[in-house]
Amino acid sequence: MSTLLEVSGLTKSFFGVTVLHGVDFVVRPGEALGLVGENGSGKSTSMNILGGVHRPEAGTMRLDGQAYAPQNPKDAISAGIAFIHQELNLFPNLSVEENLFVDAFPRWNGLPFIDRRAIRAQTEAVLHEVDLDIRPSTPVARLSQGERQLVEIAKALSRKARLIIFDEPTTSLTRPEVDRLFGIIAKLKARGIGIIYISHALEDVLAVCDSIAVLRDGHLAGAGPASEMPIGRMISLMVGRSIDTIYPDRQTAPGKQVVLAVEALSQPGVAEKISLEVRAGEIVGLAGLMGSGRSELARMIFGLDRFASGTIRVNGQPLDDPTPEKAIEAGIAFLTEDRRGEGLLMDFTIAENTVIASLDSVAGPLGILDNKRIASVSREMGRSMHLSTDKVEETRVKHLSGGNQQKVVIGKWLRREPTLFILDEPTRGIDVGAKQEVYRIINALTARGSGVLLISSEIEELIGLSDRILTISRGEIVAEFNNRPFDREAIMAAATGQRAWEGASA
Amino acid sequence: MALNRRDFTLASLAAIAASSGLTLAVKAQGTKTIAVLFDGLYSEFWVAGIQIIRDELKKRGYEIMEAISDQDDNKQFEQVRAAIARKVDGIIIVQTDSNAVIPAIKAANAANIPMVHFNRPPAQSDAFSVAIQADNQKIAREAVDYACTVAQKSGKKHQAAILIGDLGDPNAIQRRDGFQEAVDKYPDAIEVVAKIPTEWNADTAFAGLTNALQANPDISFLFTSSDFLLPQIQQALKTADKWHKVGEDGHVILTGFDGFPDAYALMKDGYMDACGVQNLFFETQLAIQAILDLGEGKKVEKLLLDPGFAITQANMNEKASEMWGYVLWKEKNPG
Amino acid sequence: MTITPVAETATGATQPPSVLRRLGRLMLSEYFVLVLCVAYVLAIAPFVPEILSWEVASNILSDMMPLLVVAIGQTFVLIIAGIDLSVTAIVSMSAVVGASVMTGTGGYLGDTAFAVPGAVLAMLFTGLVIGAINGFSVIRLNMPSFIVTLATRMFFAGAAVWYVTFHSTSSSIANLPESFAEFATGHLFGIPLTVIAAGLIAVVAHVVLSRTRFGRAVYAVGANPRAARVSGIPVERTILFCFLISGVCASVAATIYVSRMQTGSPIVGENILLDVIGAVVIGGTSLFGGKGKIVWTVFGVLFLLLLDTSMKLLGASLFAIYIIKGGVILLAALVDVARNRWLVGR
Repeated sequence: MSTLLEVSGLTKSFFGVTVLHGVDFVVRPGEALGLVGENGSGKSTSMNILGGVHRPEAGTMRLDGQAYAPQNPKDAISAGIAFIHQELNLFPNLSVEENLFVDAFPRWNGLPFIDRRAIRAQTEAVLHEVDLDIRPSTPVARLSQGERQLVEIAKALSRKARLIIFDEPTTSLTRPEVDRLFGIIAKLKARGIGIIYISHALEDVLAVCDSIAVLRDGHLAGAGPASEMPIGRMISLMVGRSIDTIYPDRQTAPGKQVVLAVEALSQPGVAEKISLEVRAGEIVGLAGLMGSGRSELARMIFGLDRFASGTIRVNGQPLDDPTPEKAIEAGIAFLTEDRRGEGLLMDFTIAENTVIASLDSVAGPLGILDNKRIASVSREMGRSMHLSTDKVEETRVKHLSGGNQQKVVIGKWLRREPTLFILDEPTRGIDVGAKQEVYRIINALTARGSGVLLISSEIEELIGLSDRILTISRGEIVAEFNNRPFDREAIMAAATGQRAWEGASA
Repeated sequence: MALNRRDFTLASLAAIAASSGLTLAVKAQGTKTIAVLFDGLYSEFWVAGIQIIRDELKKRGYEIMEAISDQDDNKQFEQVRAAIARKVDGIIIVQTDSNAVIPAIKAANAANIPMVHFNRPPAQSDAFSVAIQADNQKIAREAVDYACTVAQKSGKKHQAAILIGDLGDPNAIQRRDGFQEAVDKYPDAIEVVAKIPTEWNADTAFAGLTNALQANPDISFLFTSSDFLLPQIQQALKTADKWHKVGEDGHVILTGFDGFPDAYALMKDGYMDACGVQNLFFETQLAIQAILDLGEGKKVEKLLLDPGFAITQANMNEKASEMWGYVLWKEKNPG
Repeated sequence: MTITPVAETATGATQPPSVLRRLGRLMLSEYFVLVLCVAYVLAIAPFVPEILSWEVASNILSDMMPLLVVAIGQTFVLIIAGIDLSVTAIVSMSAVVGASVMTGTGGYLGDTAFAVPGAVLAMLFTGLVIGAINGFSVIRLNMPSFIVTLATRMFFAGAAVWYVTFHSTSSSIANLPESFAEFATGHLFGIPLTVIAAGLIAVVAHVVLSRTRFGRAVYAVGANPRAARVSGIPVERTILFCFLISGVCASVAATIYVSRMQTGSPIVGENILLDVIGAVVIGGTSLFGGKGKIVWTVFGVLFLLLLDTSMKLLGASLFAIYIIKGGVILLAALVDVARNRWLVGR
């Protein structure tokens, strides 16, 4: 059987630390290889070598039987290798066609003018191939995330790509968009294009890939056809031990006291008479697609976004015209989905981040801060969160891994002993080990009597953690699931507004 | 005229004699330094002024410590203190604000360093310094007076306009007053229809004059409080089709002040009738002499006036050589 | 060999070679600019030996003070990633308002016992009001501080000139009480009063920025206003306070200038904007916000003044001084960028 890409013995070290130890894998034309592993396992490094960003110390790569040793990203592009990144590399202010040809505009009759007509025709052709029914002149800014991704794929096709590498392509997509993407990937495979698919979403990997390679600590931990790689096996290969369940058992039951009562919260276009309650010690899951209003609801409760009407009560006390300051004062903590942009001050140290939401507790008279106390409470936080470093006063959070960053965010809020903790995508972009750690913390939180409002794109996570699950669609709570075990299909169906998933839920 | 050519030559000779004697004295004691602190070099008048001072000081063997304050009184105060720290032997200063310069004078007094104000006197105070100033009012009066006689001879009544300087500058006020005194003597020949404030700003002047010409299209008599506005005046008059030579139809009787090279060129070409000239050479002599006298402990008056003179179409050939603008013009147009 | 995951932890970065590292450490050090100051004085001393004299040193110290006070206020605004261009207009406006209150020729409180305290209060109030206009425009109208303060700068620079026309026949307001001049010329225990005042302001500003809740909020807002907001920091109030601080500091500088010049001139301080922002940036405060210290600003102002004074003593032309200062400020901005890169690389 022919191979498209053959990688063998790939080895790379940075500054004396070996990050890839003789990794081998093979991609055949028309097939998709799933590449999984925790953060730092070597996925990015191998892809950077493939893309010509880094050069390996040892090992060979062959593309269509020919030796392939890219010196720079341009070599990779001309060899027919294309990357579809998590963060898309499009210019939002330019049109679709301009984006497609931005690095090589066809000339008009050899003169230094852009041949608009040629661009239009070629763009229409590739857009058709990815089933994207938009005009080539549409500005990219007007496209949804999913459509932009298809434009990226079209761009790869217009450059005659033979191997397309997807890096976490589904994180910011809605479910229908994901399905559409998978359809396109199937089409690409049918055309003989090879695919490398990298993702933390193991179900997606299973759905798309023909074979799967698992990396751990720079080694190939295991590889095989997708049919022989159930999710459980992938996880145990990834973490190096077998895991029965990553969701810890709940030891406490929800209490009676209502910590959050939202009534008829409305904001045109965002929320439509939303009412919900969270009790002490209870985890309420909020399922919904991106843009369904789930994050917006959280932001309104926390006072970050405005709302037109409705009431919010925390511990029975009304929270009128909420601002983050008032919400925090009332006992709410909020872990935002945008950890880097909103959750943390990336340039600040762990200690500075730890106390930023509770400065009053470490300030003396005249607002003078007690630096010794800040250091000790931060170290304390680090220990209880099992942080990777105890140098809390020196380490800036931008130098921490995603999981450790998330622990700092949670730790910062726990210092306030919140009565209600709103968690928006608490495990996005962090690896399995850190996820478990976060779940453990959430559990401990409820054991202490805090209420939790949990928002997640991962249905499994909601099902694994929640006492109750609400589904939100187009700004409305459309269904409530009160009893375990939860019906996964029904939740999906409700969350997607009964349309895209009609077949699945039937 | 208070100062004729002979007086000027005598003064120059005296100054040269004094300076040569002094050069020897200086060389005997080591070089002396004079600080020259200007507030800006905004027009040819100041550029020429500082150049003449430089040449003169160099000729006499002085070292020069030069600084421009860019119309920043505080910075000039700091420059004065820096000069004092360098123990200069005298300070020639052009300040922006007549009040704000007083602390600088006091500092110089305390350090026992003579200070001379070039062309702009300070406000009244108990601090001691010597100011050299042109007799603006007299010079303006004489120049405008000549223009008025031209107007009178023409037999018809002229509408007149004046471009006034910054009213915070006493020089501007004196020139305005000199103009007023002259035109008041010829009520049947002159009627002042426009007083245009310029704030010593060329753009303001251009806009003001253009507006005035539109409001009063019959203006045929113009006095500018400074020659540095001449390019704007030329432009505005051309636009209004009023740029004609003496004797031609539609000529605007034009009088300037300062004695710029531009002014000389316009007089030579016959566009301008008269110009009040500040005698920069004489003022420089006065300034340096004052510092020398003060250094020797002689008594010097607080205000030394430069009588200046008016150069007109009538006396141009005879007076040109005393006009600093002519000397500069001559350098650029030899032969 | 043990294997550790690399890509996202700090442990994998290399250590640069030791000479580079030392240079780097010096560049990052708090005292980098102070070291520069000393090096500069040693380098320039053979040409202008006067710079080592007591008189010049005390001149530099007193010339520094008004600039330092304005720069301290500016530091607050720069840390929140804003900029206050209106400081020069605040100095001018406060100067003429203060002078109009205490002048002996028709001042509101002229020749009364309240002349000086009344004038000082009026000046501080002027600074506070203009600072409030800046701050509210930034937070309520959501305008960039560059535009807001450019507008207030033009407005109040013009207003100051206009104001004088109602209070004086000349272009400035003079005849100020003798006792007010004491502020610029007087000493306490041998230390000039202005140095004591500016020193006090610097110490308070330093403590506020480095050791208080408000200071922490200032840095947080500058580093990332969205994250600060989510953490319950009163972002808008913090921004407003920074502009108020800048306004009051500028008006304090105005008291020094007026006392020193014995004149309320509407153009006093007009030219110091480059020096103020330049000094803060030379000190190391980032124009991108989130980073800056009062000590850095003190060193920055000191360095700029050394540069300025030595050039003055050399008799360099004003334009040469501008060129050199501009070059140094550009260099400082480049160092800021390089520092940021190097920190990111760490």
